[in-house]
Amino acid sequence: MLITDKESFKRLQKLNQLALTEKEETDVLAFFTARNEDITALGAVDTENVERMVHVMPMETVVREDKEIKLFTRDELQKSAPESYEGYWQVPRLVE
Amino acid sequence: MKLYLAKNENVTSPAVVLDDMILTSDLPTTGGSMMLDNYMSLFGADIIEKLTKAGYAIAGKANVGEFGIDLVGETSYYGAVTDDKGNLSSASAELVKSGDVLAAIGLDVNGAGRRAAAMNGLVYVKPTYGTVSRYGTIPAACSGETVSVSAKTVSDCKAVLASIVGHDDKDGTSLPEEKCELVKTSAASLKKVAVIKSLTKDIDADTAAKLDAVKASLTAAGVTVEEIDCDVLAYAKTAWGILMCAELCNNVSRYDGVKYGHRSENYKTIGELYTNSRTEAFGELTKTAILYGSETLSDDNYMPVYDKSLRIRRVIIEAFASLHAEYDAVIIPASSKAAYTEADINANKYISFDEALYTAPASISGLPSVVAGGVQLIGKAFSENTLFEAAKIIEEGK
Repeated sequence: MLITDKESFKRLQKLNQLALTEKEETDVLAFFTARNEDITALGAVDTENVERMVHVMPMETVVREDKEIKLFTRDELQKSAPESYEGYWQVPRLVE
Repeated sequence: MKLYLAKNENVTSPAVVLDDMILTSDLPTTGGSMMLDNYMSLFGADIIEKLTKAGYAIAGKANVGEFGIDLVGETSYYGAVTDDKGNLSSASAELVKSGDVLAAIGLDVNGAGRRAAAMNGLVYVKPTYGTVSRYGTIPAACSGETVSVSAKTVSDCKAVLASIVGHDDKDGTSLPEEKCELVKTSAASLKKVAVIKSLTKDIDADTAAKLDAVKASLTAAGVTVEEIDCDVLAYAKTAWGILMCAELCNNVSRYDGVKYGHRSENYKTIGELYTNSRTEAFGELTKTAILYGSETLSDDNYMPVYDKSLRIRRVIIEAFASLHAEYDAVIIPASSKAAYTEADINANKYISFDEALYTAPASISGLPSVVAGGVQLIGKAFSENTLFEAAKIIEEGK
């Protein structure tokens, strides 16, 4: 079942790099409570001997010939970067 | 109210508009999210090349709900779209309806396009999963999302779909060319259809009237219409909600404010940079979906919730196989109401999860779905021509 207590919910936010407001927390926990009812209802479907299905269409692993392709240069990739410096993506200092 | 988020000037007809979930290298792509405000992709989607080759011009990018998971597009960072009566609508549906473009191409993640088409009397096709390349679309829920087409007429919808169907080496889920071709070449066979009664009991009077009109048109054309029950299809709503959010949670983990996308101005540490960038830039529904998806993948929930949903996907596909052994198409509404207003969202901001009752069966199964006359017809894989034949009858019966 989905968590419905605030302490576990704080951990879940941290794991997902999110920080909700108190009002948002209350709303999402209410959403989780409602979803718990739906999840319980799924129990009515007997899946005991049913295999999981990840891909809806049959997938084949394709072994391709090695081919060198160069899609983009570093400069091109860094055009959308919020901050970059001499060819590196820039972030705050990690070690004091 | 923004219909276009970016526009090409001096476009000659016939022109199509792309939902802003589809990457373009000459226009910004946002996914309806502040996270990607002004984002310029280095490459365009595979389908753009195919559309251009077929002679269609790209009119621009249509406003969409954030990552396509909402009701009809109301969660866009750039604002919701309403029609001339004040009902919620989608930008692409309004552009098609007004004749500004011949067709719209979208990414069907959670049925928003199908609902908008049903509300606006448009024809819409979500083709068989894997027959149209998803290369160059913003990934949200990869195991079920499908590039889709909406237009005013069946013939336009069919022609635009035919131009984008085909294998693409760059999409790992793209089917072989001979399979993709079946979308265009399979013979139509429309003799008997089934209306799923259990999915019609909570619809409003206007939607019920549309359903009755569709049944009457098909019956008048000599198609046998039967009403049957198939209770298991209702479980697609919860199962697809779980799979969609689990996939979305992973797909949007790339947005951290480092390589591209929104970066908060309020941070001192790398942790604050990640958290504040994501918290500021994602809308409320997306944050809810991320947390829901993440929780379903937790150690405690992985087997009883996520894995269970993957098994239910197989149960639903097998249920459809049984139905399609007897019926050429299965008819269900595309939504419970013929129109939605902001009041509906204010009353229930998670309404898209509830309305997925009608759209999730086709999403979770990857089966083709055509919207016509305000209702949805679901066929077996590669049976688009059969569904278009039904849509043509419905169109002529108006």
